[in-house]
Amino acid sequence: MSEITLIIDGKECKGVSGDTILEVALKSDVYIPTLCYLEGLSPMGSCRMCVVEVEGSNKLLTSCTTPAQDGMKVHTKTEKLYNYRKQILELLFAGRNHFCMFCSQSGDCELQTLAIEHGMDSVRYPFLYHDFDNDATSEHLQMDHNRCILCGRCIRVCAEKVGAHTLDYEKRGWNTKVISDIGAMLGDSNTCVNCGACAQVCPTGTITIREFVYRGRRNDCDEVVESICPLCSMGCKIKGYVRTGSLARVEGLNVTGPDGGQLCHKGRWWLPESTERKRLSVPMIREGTTFREASWEEALELAAGKMKEAHSKGHAGAIISGMSTDEELTLYSDVFRNSINMKYIDCFNGDVLRGFRKGFKPFIEQEVRPFTGAHNILESDLVLVIGADPQEEAPVTASYVRVNTVRNGGALVNLSSDKNPFGDIVDLDARISKEDLQKCIKNLVEAVSKGDTDKAGTGKMEELARMLLQASKPVMIIGGNVAKDPVVVTQVVNLAIASEGFFDDGLGVVPMVRSGNSLAALNTIVGDEPWVNEADIDCLFVSSTGLVPETPESLEAMSMSRFCVVQTPYMVHPLINMADVLLPAPAWYEKSGHFCTIEGERRTLRVIVPPKTELKGLSEVLSVITDKMGITLNSSDVRPCENIFQSKVSPDKARMAVLEEV
Amino acid sequence: MTKPKLASVWLEACAGCHMSFLDIDERIVDLLKEVDLTSTPITDIKEIPEVDLGVIEGALGNDEEVEIAEEMRKRCKILIAWGDCAVFGGINCMRNFMKKEDVLREAYTDTVSTVNPEGTIPGEDIPHLLDQAIPVDRKVKVDVYVPGCPPDADTILYVFQEILQGRIPKVPVDMMRYD
Repeated sequence: MSEITLIIDGKECKGVSGDTILEVALKSDVYIPTLCYLEGLSPMGSCRMCVVEVEGSNKLLTSCTTPAQDGMKVHTKTEKLYNYRKQILELLFAGRNHFCMFCSQSGDCELQTLAIEHGMDSVRYPFLYHDFDNDATSEHLQMDHNRCILCGRCIRVCAEKVGAHTLDYEKRGWNTKVISDIGAMLGDSNTCVNCGACAQVCPTGTITIREFVYRGRRNDCDEVVESICPLCSMGCKIKGYVRTGSLARVEGLNVTGPDGGQLCHKGRWWLPESTERKRLSVPMIREGTTFREASWEEALELAAGKMKEAHSKGHAGAIISGMSTDEELTLYSDVFRNSINMKYIDCFNGDVLRGFRKGFKPFIEQEVRPFTGAHNILESDLVLVIGADPQEEAPVTASYVRVNTVRNGGALVNLSSDKNPFGDIVDLDARISKEDLQKCIKNLVEAVSKGDTDKAGTGKMEELARMLLQASKPVMIIGGNVAKDPVVVTQVVNLAIASEGFFDDGLGVVPMVRSGNSLAALNTIVGDEPWVNEADIDCLFVSSTGLVPETPESLEAMSMSRFCVVQTPYMVHPLINMADVLLPAPAWYEKSGHFCTIEGERRTLRVIVPPKTELKGLSEVLSVITDKMGITLNSSDVRPCENIFQSKVSPDKARMAVLEEV
Repeated sequence: MTKPKLASVWLEACAGCHMSFLDIDERIVDLLKEVDLTSTPITDIKEIPEVDLGVIEGALGNDEEVEIAEEMRKRCKILIAWGDCAVFGGINCMRNFMKKEDVLREAYTDTVSTVNPEGTIPGEDIPHLLDQAIPVDRKVKVDVYVPGCPPDADTILYVFQEILQGRIPKVPVDMMRYD
């Protein structure tokens, strides 16, 4: 990569060989108008807005697709270019229905902005008035082809980042149209994963999100706050748009990152919806079948009294959400585990996390990180999905898998007892019952480490062993359901070592741990032994984010415990039905802290809008409770991510764990 | 020297541009020191006299509107098109995606609130609909375009002031809007 120098509009601009003219210009803050170009997607050169003049060339060149060459003299702002660009804009306006007064995107529209910038005060060409459909079949998305400029951003993001390949063009010339699948309505598409990435990148009002039409355009918003999505362990970076003191819209942020700024169906729809749920604003105490409002003093007094009494008999318990921040988890851990040594403390999906915790242990003891950042799936030549449904558990991981298989040509294998989550793109699909999984992976480990495919078994297993032997960088995705068995987790990590799935940051394993901060939770909250539904609990402290339904086991535990203190931001059922004391908590957009993500990064959750009612922070609530319980607080040295994220030994030095025969 | 004269017409549009003109509020007093309002929807003088400045709000949707636009062009020195309807066709263009016959049937027989058992479509005593609603400049030459739905009062005033200073303005980027 040698450095090159271009003269753009008389200014010396540096780039590296391989850059396009536009990329060099952007690096040097030289503005070139663009429409179809979007950072992170492959350039297409279809809109012609970015045309530039290059000395020595007698034609206009699209700067987004023309490779920059050392010594090029480029002009971006000549009158000739200005007139051509204006002409292109007029042609776009004449082509379809670009009448701004009845468009929901007016003000946010890149086409409109450029037309105004180019002083387009009339259109010299005849308007076509070609009547295209308006596809309103999708639950959240609206697709009005009359406003489409065929820039192809939606098509490219769907293929290159989401890997769904739902969208494409049909027909030619004036009749060209963006379609889903092979002409199906968007709502009926088999391939669409409903992630809304197409709407996020659409420069006009073609693909819009219904909710955002009334909640506010970007242009109407007062502030944009960078934060993360807490819903799954990917912790995708988001932009939260604030309008008159409330969160109006959420968009992906990480445009240049491997995920391309996409969000999944959860982040895109659940996060904005969460602002419309009924909030719990004051503490409540159960009275028969209803609740009455109470003061913080009274509610905490009652909760602490019950906890103290139950703890003295060894019958107190706590269930904490895996979507809590590192800081919150540390506090819970300090109070319940280190200060009062409470036996019964767990997460909502504790069994899964316990499986990973125990299964990873032999490798963490070697100081090797037993997993890799999920985006490294894109570097892999073989992805082995074991009992996982990434589209449900951590949806952007599924995007990585699809992109890697369809675009990068990596192999994809599914091993599961249930359905195959990736359908037709899977190279090898095998049904293995949960009971046989341990043995099956053990055989694979043996086959791969000895280089003898016969040891894996016959048929598909032998084929899989061969693929693993050939692969240079395999990645294993472990599903939550199979991870409840720690032996499976350990064996899968062994398989990654045997087949040399070594990445810079750790071993080629991606754990599907579900909740946003599960990796921190399994390091702090999750205990060694399961107790939910087994232990006799007098008083249960539950901390929920109210964002996703509680697991059936934890709901059962709540209903079985004699007294239940629930801390939640939302009045969600059936959670509040189980409570005897309700303590209001800040919602995800009202608090700040850190999350340990399976992307291998510690990411920051920020306050997007401050709480509107009098909420007490967790530290305040817990310090009152500990005070009233008469406990002195012992803080531990362990911080949530410290152990799990430090890889002191190079992954290729990892040794396989020896498992005792059962 | 006599004051320049101004006439304006309201064609196929909502009158929003004229409302926006009135939004120049007290500044109209100063403007009227420099220009005479003749035939406008505000003054309610029907005949368009010979004027210096002609203003058209609205698209052209029928033969009467075309006639008025042509008359205005003949009687004014500088013609201004106000608003998205006059400049681009605007909201009236929603009917351009249908055939003229379908538009008439929809309006005179098919709407739920219409009682018209014979299905009579009036044709003789009202102006004839054009095949499509069109911007003003498809029929007559326009000198100054002021897009916006409506254009801001400040923009409308700016355009008048420029013309009164002897310049033919273009709406500057920071004043231009389409909605």
